[in-house]
Amino acid sequence: MRAKFVGAALVALAALSVSAAEAQMRPAASVGSQIVDVPEQPGYVPSAAEEQLDPAYRRQPVYFRTNEPPGTIVIHTSERFLYLVQGDNRAIRYGIGVGRDGFQWSGLQKITRKAEWPDWRPPAEMIERQPYLPRFMAGGPGNPLGAAALYLGGTVYRIHGTNMPQTIGMAISSGCFRLVNGDVQDLYNRVPVGTKVVIRQAPTL
Amino acid sequence: MKKLALTLAAAGTLLAGLAHADTLSDVKERGVLKCGVNQGLDGFASKDDKGQWTGFDVDMCKAVAAAIFDDASKVDYVPLSAEERFPALQKGTIDLLSRNSTWTLGREAGLDLMFAAVSYYDGQGFMVPVSKNVMSALELDGSKVCIQSGTTSVLNGQDYFKTNNMAMELTQLSSLDELVKAYNEGKCDVLTTDVSQLYALRLKLDKPADYIVLPDVISKEPLGPVVRQGDDRWLNIVKWSFYAMLNGEELGVSQATLDEALKSEKPDVKRFVGTDGTYGEQLGLTKDWAVRIVKNVGNYGEVFERNIGANSKLGIPRGINQLWSAGGIQYAPPIR
Repeated sequence: MRAKFVGAALVALAALSVSAAEAQMRPAASVGSQIVDVPEQPGYVPSAAEEQLDPAYRRQPVYFRTNEPPGTIVIHTSERFLYLVQGDNRAIRYGIGVGRDGFQWSGLQKITRKAEWPDWRPPAEMIERQPYLPRFMAGGPGNPLGAAALYLGGTVYRIHGTNMPQTIGMAISSGCFRLVNGDVQDLYNRVPVGTKVVIRQAPTL
Repeated sequence: MKKLALTLAAAGTLLAGLAHADTLSDVKERGVLKCGVNQGLDGFASKDDKGQWTGFDVDMCKAVAAAIFDDASKVDYVPLSAEERFPALQKGTIDLLSRNSTWTLGREAGLDLMFAAVSYYDGQGFMVPVSKNVMSALELDGSKVCIQSGTTSVLNGQDYFKTNNMAMELTQLSSLDELVKAYNEGKCDVLTTDVSQLYALRLKLDKPADYIVLPDVISKEPLGPVVRQGDDRWLNIVKWSFYAMLNGEELGVSQATLDEALKSEKPDVKRFVGTDGTYGEQLGLTKDWAVRIVKNVGNYGEVFERNIGANSKLGIPRGINQLWSAGGIQYAPPIR
């Protein structure tokens, strides 16, 4: 059981690992882009002030018209928002960090597993690039996976927390979706295993 | 007899005038679009100290000028009060009215006007302190509600609470400044008026970030550009200039991606940029009419974000004004 869990965590980190190399910021859909460099900082515990997001990215109820049933998660990567459908044309909206260019994807998934404060085991390729990283980091504050992880189908992708709240609104990961810890905890408490997750992309030319 | 002949002649001239109303030719001949705007409304229309006009409604004027002249600066802005706006259009002082005006039957049929599109869906909403942890207006039972007296918001607000079996303690205040003062002093939990105005009022509060506007909208205030009746071609040009901005966003054609779009092989993108079809010519414009709009002004999302969006001073989320394909109701007929 433990071995199985570690295996899953390893795969999870493969997705997280490349995020340090390059970072791209795009505050909102189609509003220009800006390259920024945001390396992982394991062990860094953000202050309460840092956890306080820009108002546009804070968790809030919004108007949201959709044919998806209540309880569905809809992720708009280009907007940097995750919507939890509530029915009656509304949703709870969370600000997120998403995959950088080349690591953005769309599709339909289900949440197959949930974990609180998951452990972190950087994969070999990440250690190679950043030898100063720990080989193992127990779950807890300062862990780059943050307060919770929601596993998406059989993919390497997850919805997880972060110890770097300033990366919300950016495109920096390798395909994972990150929320601030308060938000990922809120989401964790609202959605069960089996929840449908729809990931949407901006149109291509 | 003579008198009758004169009257007939005058009527004939008037009819001829209507039949030949050709605003596009007039605008081209003049070399500039005359556009009626608000005298000053944050995010929608305002003039800076250098005399430059900016705003969401101003960009509608610019889009039409761009479609005709490929130059968004070819606009004469005519600032108008609420009372002056429709007469200015009827008298021909302006070619286009883009001044946060609500589309109603009375205004179209009663004033001989035509609304070309809904550029912004406004409506009455509610602002509450974040600390109340309220997610829906249906959770406002027993609230102290502040409303500006003498407005339709009073009746709408009372009706909403009554219809949903919720109690309310109503405080009416005679001006917006008093409304803000009362709210700052904690005399009420809820402020209700049109959503766009709630965001403008929020800026005047001591701690704007401590308040949110709920997603509930309880009345219909569809705002959009207006033209005179009797010139269908001009109506089409204004209408499709707006729809070009919406279609641009839906197709992913923005100021940043315009060069890429011009090389696109996707049929709907080719029709949009004019590498396929003669849609611009059919409107009385050029093949690249939509490209001109995006190049000079941007697509709908860009215009919204720049002037009133979440990262602008006003900070209005797209909400109901999001594209139909992304959770809102903004929907443009296709270019084909």
